[in-house]
Amino acid sequence: MKHVIIGTGAAGISAAKTIRILNSNDEIVMLSADSIINSRSMLHKYISGERDSASLRFVSADFFDANNISWLTRKVTSIDTASKQVLTDAEPISYDRLLIATGANSSTPPIGALQTAVNVFGLRHFTDAESIKRASERAEKFVIIGAGLVGLDAAYALIEQGKRDITIVEMGDRILPVNLDPQAAASYQDLFEKMGCKFLLGARVTDTVTSGDVVTGISLESGEILDCDLVIVATGTRPAIEFLADSNIAFERAITVDENLRTSVPDVYAAGDVTGLSGIWPNAVNQGEIAGRNMCGDNAVYEDSFAMKNTINFFGLLTLSVGKTVPEEDDVVLIREDRRNYKKLILTGDTISGVILQGDISQSGFWQHMVKNKISIAGKNPWKLSYADFYSTKENGEFAWKTG
Amino acid sequence: MKRIIIKEEECDGCKNCSLACMQAHRTNSGTLYDLNLTDLANESRNFILAVDSGYAPLFCRHCDEPECVRACISGAMTKDPESGIVSYDEEVCAKCFMCVMSCSFGILKPDRATSQKVVKCDFCAQDGYDPSCVKSCPKKAILIEEVTA
Repeated sequence: MKHVIIGTGAAGISAAKTIRILNSNDEIVMLSADSIINSRSMLHKYISGERDSASLRFVSADFFDANNISWLTRKVTSIDTASKQVLTDAEPISYDRLLIATGANSSTPPIGALQTAVNVFGLRHFTDAESIKRASERAEKFVIIGAGLVGLDAAYALIEQGKRDITIVEMGDRILPVNLDPQAAASYQDLFEKMGCKFLLGARVTDTVTSGDVVTGISLESGEILDCDLVIVATGTRPAIEFLADSNIAFERAITVDENLRTSVPDVYAAGDVTGLSGIWPNAVNQGEIAGRNMCGDNAVYEDSFAMKNTINFFGLLTLSVGKTVPEEDDVVLIREDRRNYKKLILTGDTISGVILQGDISQSGFWQHMVKNKISIAGKNPWKLSYADFYSTKENGEFAWKTG
Repeated sequence: MKRIIIKEEECDGCKNCSLACMQAHRTNSGTLYDLNLTDLANESRNFILAVDSGYAPLFCRHCDEPECVRACISGAMTKDPESGIVSYDEEVCAKCFMCVMSCSFGILKPDRATSQKVVKCDFCAQDGYDPSCVKSCPKKAILIEEVTA
């Protein structure tokens, strides 16, 4: 059996590991456009200089050799599902089972010259990080569009480089609008501002000022123009499926998969960001495992799809965010604060539907389980909850949850 | 694989295991008698919580399918296929703390002194994988057993 995996990110690597554990003799071929295996979530640490290309890896240096995997740097151009071949910029590669784990690309809005200028970058691939690092050496004035995690990662990296003239434009009314409530967001905004960053919230980019193929200014709806040497666009992503255009694999915005992560074509699977199911690392790893098992003949179901979760660490301030960040009607909000901590619980009926812990996040992993599984806290003090309230051990010594 | 099996009904909450863990992971040398209990660098990796029925001893299970490994963006958290031990490499860690979020049993934590590394049971690797907590339990409420993964 020959397994071909397109993509060497979280999902692709995890599928390869899974297949290798299940079948020591199957052939595994992995294809990637980047010539460097890298963890997308650490790319900003390359820009800041904290990591080099080798330490961006999230598997050991001998991963491919140790697991007897052929790794080829190829750009995939198309998939011929009739002859079961992946067409590349070099030779066609045949497969028995195919996994598409190509992830996503940053999506740049069609405003002014943002899509064409040479000094405007997304931050998604190693090549993006390399380009930003190189171009930032000669740049002083930076504009970042989007104050989500990627935008702030970029800002953090530039600050680490010693840059101070950084303006971040965000459409929402706060930074990290997906992950945090206004108060938790304000704490990070304050830290970034202390380092010289300027935030423009509720602001909309309407056009660019150009000189040749360089953007020299970003025009806002307010009429303000921000001078810039370098622009980073962090407004979202789009599943990387451009090579599917003339295949018969079904897709809309992302590749269509069933609960087993099978695509519409037999023997072709998809996992990770390319499925649009979740943009979170652990979920991509889990999807890779499920797809890998099914490529080996199993019938595993992707169930653990909860994705409203994240941890944030900027300037040593840690935050855990699980579930909703702002209450809906009839929800009850509990807040506790001190000099170092902000803790917020959102209660829906007798379950916890949202948790923000800023400051101390020790031993907080049980909250995800509580929120995800809507576990009843009836009769319990929400501030004193821990896994100990649901303590149970299995025959093999592992923990389990005792509920109800 | 070997696992520290917990007999919670035997635990009387003396916390000898926590002291033993602090002693085993202290940053300077010395005996239990001069261990600085208030030094944030000497943190325990296990926790004994009082519950209605007695005590809930919380020890890293080195899970068969560890969520902390699944969540790790840097490769710092790995499960050894031979020993089953889930190890943490501070040098490789990207300090994102997704592992803390992903441990359903709330065992993992950032270190209290710096919040820039993860505090996690290492099965006393420095003592030849012979966990101090187990040796210190006067009630034999925790013991090493071979389990099938």
